[in-house]
Amino acid sequence: MAFREINSKMIEASVVPGQRLFSQRGAMLAYKGDVSFTPNMTGGQGGVMSMIGRRVANEDTPLMTVEGSGTVLFGHGGHHIQVINLAGDTLYVEADRLLAFEGTLQQGTMFLGSQGGVMGMVRGQISGQGLFTTTLKGHGSVAVMAHGGVFEVPITPQRPVHVDPQAYVAHHGDVRNKLSTALGWRDMVGRGSGEAFQLELSGSGAVYVQASEEKL
Amino acid sequence: MFRLQGSKVLAVDMTGDAVKAKNGSMVAYDGQMAFKKMSGGGEGIRGMVTRRLTGEQMTVMEVKGHGTCWFADRASEINLVSLQGDKLYVESSNLLATDAALRTGTSFTGLRGASQGNGLFTTTVEGHGQAAIMSDGAAVVLRVSPQYPLTVDPGAYVAHQGNLRQSLQSGVTFRTLMGEGGGEAFQIRFEGDGLVYVQPSERNTIAGDV
Amino acid sequence: MSHHPGAGPTVYDPMTLPSDDNVDSYTFCVELKGNQWFLQKGKMIAYYGSMEFNGIGHGRLDRLVRTSFHSPLHASDWVVAEGSGKMLLADRAFDVNSYDLDDGNLTIRSGNLLAFQPSLALKQSIVPGFLTLIGTGKFVAASNGPVVFMEPPIRVDPQALVGWADCPSPCHHYDHGYMTGVMGGLRALTGLGGASGEEHQFEFVGAGTVLLQSSETLMAEQATGVLPPDAGVPGSGGAHTGPSQAGGTPRLPGQLGDLQRRFGL
Repeated sequence: MAFREINSKMIEASVVPGQRLFSQRGAMLAYKGDVSFTPNMTGGQGGVMSMIGRRVANEDTPLMTVEGSGTVLFGHGGHHIQVINLAGDTLYVEADRLLAFEGTLQQGTMFLGSQGGVMGMVRGQISGQGLFTTTLKGHGSVAVMAHGGVFEVPITPQRPVHVDPQAYVAHHGDVRNKLSTALGWRDMVGRGSGEAFQLELSGSGAVYVQASEEKL
Repeated sequence: MFRLQGSKVLAVDMTGDAVKAKNGSMVAYDGQMAFKKMSGGGEGIRGMVTRRLTGEQMTVMEVKGHGTCWFADRASEINLVSLQGDKLYVESSNLLATDAALRTGTSFTGLRGASQGNGLFTTTVEGHGQAAIMSDGAAVVLRVSPQYPLTVDPGAYVAHQGNLRQSLQSGVTFRTLMGEGGGEAFQIRFEGDGLVYVQPSERNTIAGDV
Repeated sequence: MSHHPGAGPTVYDPMTLPSDDNVDSYTFCVELKGNQWFLQKGKMIAYYGSMEFNGIGHGRLDRLVRTSFHSPLHASDWVVAEGSGKMLLADRAFDVNSYDLDDGNLTIRSGNLLAFQPSLALKQSIVPGFLTLIGTGKFVAASNGPVVFMEPPIRVDPQALVGWADCPSPCHHYDHGYMTGVMGGLRALTGLGGASGEEHQFEFVGAGTVLLQSSETLMAEQATGVLPPDAGVPGSGGAHTGPSQAGGTPRLPGQLGDLQRRFGL
């Protein structure tokens, strides 16, 4: 039940009895057949942690459980969608960049950087109130949104990669992350907060970077 | 040295050399890189005045190091332009990066619809090297020749090179049931010999920035 | 599409620009040879040749209006282009495409329609915010991402709908699961979580084609204005039926408003 790309901004998923999908609220564009969309306010995988924070409205949005028998078209705001297929490893994704994922994956949360996730740090929400990063592990497909699409940068032990936190979408592999202020970056202040930080990823794996430093 | 990774990301492989890029446009890099803020707008008095008027928007940074640096800006489409001693005029906010060897300057045009405040500042790039320009949607390159002058909507103008004369034209008549209508009251007419880059959008330039 | 250093994109001139066809996904080229095209204001980005753009309903264009343009409410947003040369159309870097109607009909969201040939008649659809094109001719539409065609039966998030052809106008479908139960009631009371396509969709049946785009935010919509008060005409102002909505949270697209009360929440 993988996701099929219809075009860069829309994916199609077949829903089959007994197999569930989870999607972000508002991600369903159209459907055929007998499909139900149930929000998980509590419950779902990981209890309260199944909320996907929505950066724009600052509103916690519930994950939807999608089940039944039919076909669903997913997309959101005309953003580009990248389908990532996991074969046992773990994907770390900025929570609100997650469009949909298969129920076979195990969902969890993790804090990147010191507290409050990457964007939490960037926005100065060090209190832990900010967004957290979602982890998905196992075998299955994940659909991730980004402004303008993503490109993949491999991370190797000899070549750590530095990413603008606002352009960070997701990463996978055996990767250590560090939020740092690099010398010289302090000179770059000018476009609002967050410019002084960069996310440093080292180890082996790959990071998905979006072609924009804008929020969704 | 400049290469496109897809159409919205510029990858620059550096071996100790430098590039000048729009402030804030770096999305990722590997290896060792140093970033230095430079003042945009050009040298001398004119440069100072330009910086005053445009504020932070035209800040340029210099990136130098060993490794690969990736640049992008709001998912805009990127076009590479190779300059062989000629001069490129670009809407300042549409310039993403230039080879540090190219000379950049500013020219005040003030032509394009001063009422909307757009098109007041054009960046000039000249010398030998590569420049990356951005557009909202893939740019279309149109050739202007003596027998085929071109009229362009100011909001769609991105850049031009060659031997071209610009003039303002008000060719749009909007006499409607309701009286004088809105929409673009001016158009830019290009005559001569050269190339004009247009974008499939009315996204404004600095003063009317989205 | 990657470029290697040195190689540039295609350079176009009046000879190489296509006639009445896409230049690329975001730009369309119309050739005028003394004929006319209806255009939405502000969508022309450049042209070669000599062209004139006049507002609708002005003087000698009256006859044109009588045969092709039947939507007085939209008149101020449209112009007629005439002259000779090649003109490039585009809209906010959205995907543009042309479609040919052959003695057919297509209803499209007004914000998505860019241009059409006068051989087509433009009318206002009963469904607010949509326009219907009838006849034979070409029109150009813009969408956020490529248009996806699907066939009924299908339920569509209202914000993802671009238009439909041949099949009957859609009806509203409300998901009962949303309206009942504790969470449904909570949502109605507090307006929490707003509304989204999961609760309310447009339902299409019959034979035809439905056009979709990946958009949860509507593109800037052409104001359809308020129809003059007219009994029996849906959407007309003045003849207001039903209880007025309680103040508080603004009504979001798709939010049920009065209907929530009627379903007894």
